[in-house]
Formats: sequence, structure tokens, C-alpha cells
Amino acid sequence: MSLFSFLGTLEIGFIFGLVAVGVYLTFRVLDFPDLTVDGSFTMGAALAAALIIAGINPYVATVCAVIGGAAAGLVTAWLNLRFNILHLLASILTMTALYTINLRIMGKPNLALITEPTVLSPFQSLGIPNMYLKVIFVAVVVIAIGLLLAWFLKTQYGLAMRATGANPRMAQANGIVINQKIFAGLALSNGLVALAGALFAQTNGFADSTMGIGTIVVGLAAVIVGESLFNSRSMLVIVVSCIVGSLLYRLAVSVALNADFIGFNTSDLNLITAVLVGLALILPHLRREWKARKAANGGEA
Amino acid sequence: MIRCEHLKVTFNAGQATEKRALRGVNLTIPQGEFVTVIGSNGAGKSTLLNTIAGDIRSSSGRLHFDDRDVTSLSAAARTRDVARVFQDPLAGTCGDMTIEENMALAYGRGQKGGLRLALNEGLRKLFREQLSRLNLGLEDRLDAKMGLLSGGQRQSVSLLMSALQPSKILLLDEHTAALDPKTAALVMDITDQIVAEKKLTVLMVTHSMRQALDHGTRTIMMHEGQVAFDLQGDERSNYGVKDLLNLFAQIRPDGEELDDDKLLLGT
Ligand SMILES: Nc1ncnc2c1ncn2[C@@H]1O[C@H](COP(=O)(O)OP(=O)(O)O)[C@@H](O)[C@H]1O
Ligand SMILES: [Mg+2]
Repeated sequence: MSLFSFLGTLEIGFIFGLVAVGVYLTFRVLDFPDLTVDGSFTMGAALAAALIIAGINPYVATVCAVIGGAAAGLVTAWLNLRFNILHLLASILTMTALYTINLRIMGKPNLALITEPTVLSPFQSLGIPNMYLKVIFVAVVVIAIGLLLAWFLKTQYGLAMRATGANPRMAQANGIVINQKIFAGLALSNGLVALAGALFAQTNGFADSTMGIGTIVVGLAAVIVGESLFNSRSMLVIVVSCIVGSLLYRLAVSVALNADFIGFNTSDLNLITAVLVGLALILPHLRREWKARKAANGGEA
Repeated sequence: MIRCEHLKVTFNAGQATEKRALRGVNLTIPQGEFVTVIGSNGAGKSTLLNTIAGDIRSSSGRLHFDDRDVTSLSAAARTRDVARVFQDPLAGTCGDMTIEENMALAYGRGQKGGLRLALNEGLRKLFREQLSRLNLGLEDRLDAKMGLLSGGQRQSVSLLMSALQPSKILLLDEHTAALDPKTAALVMDITDQIVAEKKLTVLMVTHSMRQALDHGTRTIMMHEGQVAFDLQGDERSNYGVKDLLNLFAQIRPDGEELDDDKLLLGT
């Protein structure tokens, strides 16, 4: 792998670290499997790109992207909580609607950001070569957000959010308004994912209406890789493991795609990811079955 | 004080499975009274407690805490006044969180959960002090996962958690039923201590006639969604388990026998 593609892999790994952290919030913390992220990733990219092209400051555009993503999360939470629509289905509805909304935001299926300013522009005068600058910028942003989030999960509010997912009845008996925590959690998660989309669009120079497909599976893959490497109760370790999981996942994919003798190409990515996540979900299950069988046999002997 | 006025709860109203779980409960419990609640399965004991806690909305009737009408208050809003311990030891705590995190959650009950760290050294000290009352050695395991504890240990911690914040009302729904006799006795011991310390108004559902008479100051028996008997004062002190069983027989004129061993022998 060339240095250039290695740096590119790191950059995307960090960006999807945000997605992983967002997915961790919904799937693990809130126990709310949320597929909205496929749409909110694209929405973040679309909003950022469209606003920048319209002449808006890239930082303002990025904040708008985050707000857009958070709003999408709120819609999913509302469909689920207000109308009792199953969380998976509610999130699929939002995701589907977002596909159209994103096209409307962009006005066409693809927007290029070649000459426009981006969040990186203020740093370009530092003289760091662009390929390094992008990685450093993304790494700093993602790590800072990761630290903030780890701290948040240890605050009273964060603890309440974790209890909401882990044991809603207990949470309620301790005065926690669980609906409010679910709204907040979904907004936060999708806001992070939209931020990832906005960063992706600006570092890679484009937004595309289909770029969000499979975001959820990639995020899950990173969470699962991270969980299998670190087994800790510390929020800091867990959040960091999501980001590390994302980096490792990207590196693994990149190696697989670069190994010419296997003959994979970029469009095979979704299948590879699905198979990887599938394996990660299947293996612990098989191991449990295997252990149970062994225990049963041992009991008879 | 808790005042129930003609509280009614109907599940699945208008459907074939309609169930009138509370059929007009009238009950006034003065501040500081410890009421034990007995009654056969399905009598509506849990429903009564859940309605007082706000988990279940009453279909009609009113509920007051002191002079405040709380009928339309949400469960979360009522937790300023109400603490509870569930029958299932797993229900009252989060197995995935540590002991100290669980206690911090309970410590935040009735407060606005803000963006301050939920744990600090002062709190840990308080939690250690409280846990040492249990004599289970848990004070040295603050950062152990709750899920690693036995049912009895978890229930004991739940009980401590219910008393971390001032509240006026404590609701206990068969909170010793899932425990072995020795642990159950320990948990009841701590229950009595906490109730006396905090001068709480208590409703304790129990399957054990012995427990119902040995603890508290008043005993009510629920039957088919209503309070069938209300024992207090001298009358109660002269009651034995046998007499309670006779009461059971009276409210079941069909002569249906009580075949629940726990009811008869209860720990
Ligand atoms: N959520 C519910 N939906 C429908 N029926 C219920 C529900 N909860 C309780 N019931 C019914 O209401 C009656 C009273 O239940 P409960 O209060 O749990 O009795 P117990 O005195 O044994 O605690 C029972 O017949 C029970 O089946
Ligand atoms: Mg019950």
C-alpha cells in the first residue's frame, strides 16, 4: 500500500470513527437499532456541499449539516415514541425520505467541491502538505469529539441515557424521563454521523446521493471490531475502541482491496463488509452453542 | 400521606381480554404508616403499587400525596415522592453498569440530571458507607459490574438505592420473594431500619402471612381489585397466621382452597 493510500485510509477510518461512535450510542447505549444513519450521513455531506457552493462559510455549513442530521434523528425518535412504530421501521422510513430530501438539497445526484473553500482552508497556509493536513485535521476533530462524548456518558445526563437503554423501568423509577433521553440520543447520534458526512464531503471533494448506502453496516463493523479488541467498562476505552475499530476495519478493507491476487474491487466493499459483520455476529453465537454443548456433554460424563 | 379515592384500573378496556384489575380502591395511609399488603395472585396488589408509582394510569378515581392531586403526574415526576423496589432483583438495577454507577443513578432521583460528572469522591464515600451496612463486602467492590452480584446482593443494593434520596413513600412489591430465607431476612432487616430512619410511608406487598404480621403497623388484604380487609391497631396485634388464613377463606365463599405453599408457610 502506498503512503498516499495509507493516509487516505486513515482519514476515512477517522471519519467513520464518528459514525461508529454514533452507532454505538443508538445500538448499544440506547438499545435502539437506528438505520437513519444511512440517510443522515448523506444529508451531512449534501448540506455541507450545497451550502458551501452557495457561498456559506464552511464552518457554518458544517454546523448546519450537524443540525440537519440531528433533526433526522428526532424524526425517527418521534415516529417510534409518538406512534409506536417499530424502531427499525421508523428509521427505515426516515432514511427513505432522506434520499429524496438529499437529492432536493443538492439539486442533482452529485456535487463537486474542487475549488470551494472547506473547513481545511484556514490551515492551508501552514504549509503542511494537503494529504497530511487532511489526516491530522480529521484525527484531531474525531479524537476531541470522542473525548467529549466519553465525558458526556459519565455525566448525570449521560448516565441517565445509558440507564434508559439498559433498563427503562429502572430508569423511570429513578425519575428519568426516558422519552426525552431517546430523543436526545438519536439527535446526538445522527448529528455525529452527519458531521462525518460533512467532513467526508470536504476532504474528498464531493457529495453523492448514494454515498450513505451501507453506512450503518460499516459503523456496526467498527463497533464490533472495537468491542472484540477491548473489553472494558470504562466509557473512555469504549469510545476510543469504536474509533480504533473503525481504523482497523478500514485498513483491513484496504488491504483486501489492494491484494490484486484476490481480485476484489471497490464495488465489492459492501459485500465484504456485510460478510465481516455477519461473521462477527455469528461467531459468538456459534461459540456459545459450542460451549453449551460441551458443558452438556461434560455434565453427562 | 397517600389517599386513593375510588381508584379504578382496567386493562384492555372494551376487548375480549378486558381485565378490571382495580375496581374502586379507597385507601388512606397516614404519613409514616407501614402497610403490608396481602392477597391471592391476580388480586391487584402489583397494579395498586404501579398505579401509585405512576407506571399505570388509573381509568378513573383520584390519587393524592398529602394534599396534592397527583393523578395525572407522570411516573418520573412522582419519583420525587416515591421510591420503589421491585420483586425481580434484575428489575431494579442495571446489570451492565457498575455498583457505583447504579447508586449514582439512584442518587440523582428527583434531581435535574445535568452535565456534571455523575460520580465523585464524596459520593463514593457515601456509597461505601451505605454498602457497609449490608455486611456483604460490597463497599470494596464499587466498580464491580452489577450483573456479577447474586440476586440477594442486587436486591439489597436496590433497597439502599431507594433510600439514597429523601422520599416520603416507599413501595415494595414482594421484594424478598425471589430470595433465599437467610437473604430475605437480611433484606427485611434493612427494610425495617431504613423505614424507621426515614420515617417513610410504606406499602409492602408480601406473599408471606408471617411477614405481613411481623412487619409494619397495618395489614390490608386485596381481593378482586378491592381492599377486602383492613387490619390495624389492637385487632391486628391479636391476629395470628391462622386468623389471616380464615380471613382468606371468608372472602372466598366458594370454598376454594389456598394451595399456595408460600402463602401458608412463607418465610
Ligand atoms: N399489563 C397488563 N395487561 C393486562 N392485564 C394485566 C396487566 N397487568 C396485570 N394484569 C391483570 O390484572 C390482574 C391483577 O394483576 P396484579 O396486580 O399483577 O396482581 P397481583 O395481586 O398478583 O400482584 C391480573 O388478573 C393480571 O392478569
Ligand atoms: Mg404481583
